[in-house]
Amino acid sequence: MKKTLISAAVLAVASLSSAFAGSHSDKVIVEFGYPYPHLFDVTYEAMMPAFKKKHPNIEIKFRATYESYEDGTNTILREATSGNLPDVTMQGLNRQAILVEKGIAKSLEPYIAKEANFEKDGYHQAMLNLSKFDGNVHGLPFSISLPVGYYNMDILKEGGINSLPTNWDEVIKACKVMKSNGIKNPIFWGWNITGNWFMQAMLWSQDKPIVNGNTINLDSKEATLALETMNRIFRECEMQNLSWKEALASFAAGEIGMLFWSTSALGTVERTKGDFALKTGPFPGIPGVNNGKPIGLPAGGNAAMMTSTSDDPKVREAAWAWLKFITSGEGAAEVAKTTGYMPPNKAANEIILADFYKANPNKQTAVDQLPLLRDWLAYPGENGLAVTQVIFDGMEKLVTGEATNVAELQKEISEEASDLMPR
Amino acid sequence: MTKALNHQRQTRSAWIMLSPALILMMVILILPIMIAFGLSFTNYGLGVKSVDFVGLENYERIFTRSTFKKMFTATVLYVIIVVPFSVGLGLGAALLIQSVQRGREFYKTIYFLPVMASLLAMAIVWEFMLHPTIGVLNETLQGGCDSTVIHGLLTGSWYGADPLTSWYGDKCANGFPLWLGDRDYALWTICFIGIWQSFGFNMVLYLAGLTSVPKDLYHAAEMDGASSAWERFRLITWPMLGPTTVFVVTITVIRSFQVFDTVEAIFPDSGGPGKTAYVMMFAIYEKGIKQNLLGTGAAITVIFLMFVIAVTLIQRWFIDRKTHYA
Amino acid sequence: MINAFSLSSTIKHGVLILGALIVLVPFYMMVSYSFKSPGEIERNTGGFFGSQELMVDERCVKLQDPNKDEVIALRSRFPGLGDDGVRKAFMAEVERDCSMIPVVFNYSKAFSQAPLLRYLINGVIVTVSIFLIQIIVALPAAFALSKLRFLGRETVFNIVILGLLIPVHAIALPLYIMLAKVGLVNTYAALIVPWTISVFGIFLMRQFFMTVPDDLIDAARMDGMSEYAIVWRVMLPTAIPALLAFAIFSVVAHWNDYFWPRIVITGDRSLFTPPLGLREFKGDADGSFYGPMMATATIIVTPLIVAFLIAQKRFIEGITLTGMK
Repeated sequence: MKKTLISAAVLAVASLSSAFAGSHSDKVIVEFGYPYPHLFDVTYEAMMPAFKKKHPNIEIKFRATYESYEDGTNTILREATSGNLPDVTMQGLNRQAILVEKGIAKSLEPYIAKEANFEKDGYHQAMLNLSKFDGNVHGLPFSISLPVGYYNMDILKEGGINSLPTNWDEVIKACKVMKSNGIKNPIFWGWNITGNWFMQAMLWSQDKPIVNGNTINLDSKEATLALETMNRIFRECEMQNLSWKEALASFAAGEIGMLFWSTSALGTVERTKGDFALKTGPFPGIPGVNNGKPIGLPAGGNAAMMTSTSDDPKVREAAWAWLKFITSGEGAAEVAKTTGYMPPNKAANEIILADFYKANPNKQTAVDQLPLLRDWLAYPGENGLAVTQVIFDGMEKLVTGEATNVAELQKEISEEASDLMPR
Repeated sequence: MTKALNHQRQTRSAWIMLSPALILMMVILILPIMIAFGLSFTNYGLGVKSVDFVGLENYERIFTRSTFKKMFTATVLYVIIVVPFSVGLGLGAALLIQSVQRGREFYKTIYFLPVMASLLAMAIVWEFMLHPTIGVLNETLQGGCDSTVIHGLLTGSWYGADPLTSWYGDKCANGFPLWLGDRDYALWTICFIGIWQSFGFNMVLYLAGLTSVPKDLYHAAEMDGASSAWERFRLITWPMLGPTTVFVVTITVIRSFQVFDTVEAIFPDSGGPGKTAYVMMFAIYEKGIKQNLLGTGAAITVIFLMFVIAVTLIQRWFIDRKTHYA
Repeated sequence: MINAFSLSSTIKHGVLILGALIVLVPFYMMVSYSFKSPGEIERNTGGFFGSQELMVDERCVKLQDPNKDEVIALRSRFPGLGDDGVRKAFMAEVERDCSMIPVVFNYSKAFSQAPLLRYLINGVIVTVSIFLIQIIVALPAAFALSKLRFLGRETVFNIVILGLLIPVHAIALPLYIMLAKVGLVNTYAALIVPWTISVFGIFLMRQFFMTVPDDLIDAARMDGMSEYAIVWRVMLPTAIPALLAFAIFSVVAHWNDYFWPRIVITGDRSLFTPPLGLREFKGDADGSFYGPMMATATIIVTPLIVAFLIAQKRFIEGITLTGMK
């Protein structure tokens, strides 16, 4: 008896609280979810005043934030099953495919078709391609990051290195110089960043996508060159198997000379570094390929997708208005000003922010690499995420020295990954 | 009241009293496991459009892939290391605290602190402490290298041995291990953190068990000539703690098999360097949630449960026979 | 006579203190980090309190970063400078205003970035509700399993023990789907209902009840009490110490639960429990905000420590009587 009463009381409280959440006015409510609150809270907060002025009738309801891009996708999948999807969600660029495959993310083509001059608002093809699936745009990229090199100039100068390395051979030479100067850990190369990003970077440097339709390209000669270059970096620089958290801490403490990571960590690195001169430089290229310059690089970051299940056309229009606002003009400008990411929107970069990059040269590096933008690819099929793990484990074997024969390792991961691809 | 009526009444009341618990157990524990059991024969994942029966394919894959062998090794090793230390340290701490006159509350609270702290925060702190170069642990160890006294002691060079042959000496020369990044040390480090986190819980249980050992037994033993502390422990304390030990060991073993939070907090992407800390619960999480392969995750769950049930049954049968109940 | 400075006593205290130091190191670091600036944490410098040099709250600065029209409006305040200079001068002012010492930064962010106070209240609501329902379910069941004679008693008890083996992570997704079907996700009910069955509690209370003398119960039956009344009027009063023990284990476990709330609460973070206050500051590959994270962790462990100190005396008594003699 008591138990029934208490359960009833708990349920009553619960339903009351959810009832209050849906209060009525003639505002249209758009439910919105995004990741990494400590990075992006300030971005959205900064753009709200401008949005409210432009669309006074739309209210944005911020949902519980995601912990990471992975958490974002998992949450959407759960919410799809339980029937309470948000209207707009921010997803990692390599996580869009999963939602498109499952029909959870809606195509944006109908809305784009109604736009008078979409291109003029700065949405160029290279940007939209990042979210194009089967020829249809399913998302609008919001914040972009690219792989980049962080250099501790004090350590480099000590070794007599005055200019930043431009290809991996020069990087390895720099390692050796630093080692002879007593630097125990001259380099950290971000192989363990999420989504096999750096593996894709090595392949895109040779203009080769890691996966094409249902074929994974791990047995190609580009993959061989990629793995061999990685192995040379790990072995000849004697790179330690640090976790990236440890690597960031080591770099901040001035122990690592060269850190290859995402531009998005620039804020943290600048905030936490000790007393040394920091410079960022473009991601080095593979010697012998394209004059030692990368042909393409995978874009990191997130894009806005529409997952609304609402039947009310006003809600959908409002969701589209929000989607457009955050990825164009003022929204994009806030991305550059408040985070280490770049907005991919041309108009934002060329008009609004022109002076900004002059004042922030370390952020300019990533913008310079914008022409190299390529997809951050996701592996198709229900085992897609398992493929990421296979490649991760393979690279780890190179780092720890468990695998010494690159050709053998390549065969191993290529077979295992192909096994997991859809027929 | 007649015996029969009494018995009838007891039976009826018993089932009424058990019904909420049994119903809840069915719905919250048994039903999901049944669902998981069913899912283990499919290729289900959240959001997939069609679900197919795949028979024993998931199970086959589990037993043939090398990562799954690592799963069993990591879990079993973890249990074998953590249980004795966690129980032993818990007992040791309880005995020590019980035998001192002052500061008991102080020690009790401090030793229970690891149980109360948020694991996520503690994982981050441990990661910083275990940082290979700027972490507290390696900094301290490195400091010992520079001190001739400590270096001599720990490497054996004070009596003439070659320092490089000892672990400490070798590390002083070549750099201390990466702890969490090293395939040889990662699992032991996780075990250490697990012991640190759980022995306070066992200490508290043992403290309670100790207070219920009748004092007259000690007096009697003293009169019979058993006067050393070891004798007292061996003849009285340990046997009287039998039932407590059963409870403590059972709970610790079960929780050790279920270890997950530490591994996920420290190795969210890999389950340890070379998957050396790839414990079963982490495998379930990796397959079921991270990779959205609920079928495979469910299969690992079923195997896990069968494994743990077998261990528990063996343990109950084995230990129950040897326990001395008052 | 007890000699306060006996050798054996000193050795014992020595060992205990050494142990205490090892156990405390992570806490020492946690509290220390809650005082430090991001750089000091990352590089592990600054002693215990950190150097407490002024640091800039970047969020505060970024929110006041003027755009073109605002710069025009500011021209009057900084005469003689070009637009670039006006912006620089204004930002210098803003930075000064947004500067504070790290400890203030960390603790104020802990409370302002996420509604930590609300989370703490949720923690209380959720842990207390869970515990109350657990007692209501577990006590009668434990009584039945210990004091009533009926066919199937051993089987039911074995099922209870088997329940201990089922880990929550394995059943999390099926449970989520079940809750979703009844429309209960994103509610307090979702946080509470899965924990209402505590096999650990049933096990513990059953051990305790087995030590209560049968005569007490028979006497109550003679007086005409129903079995149900016996549970609440005879067993419960004697069980208070054991209940306190159960309470400590239950409250600590659910207060610190990070996994389940994160699975089931996705829409509205106002239902989060205390440990989720930490997720506000996680940034993964882009770097996390460790200072406020540690401040949050310090704040959320404090109520538990206080509760433990208050309850521990009666708590040890409690387990004494649970029949683990």
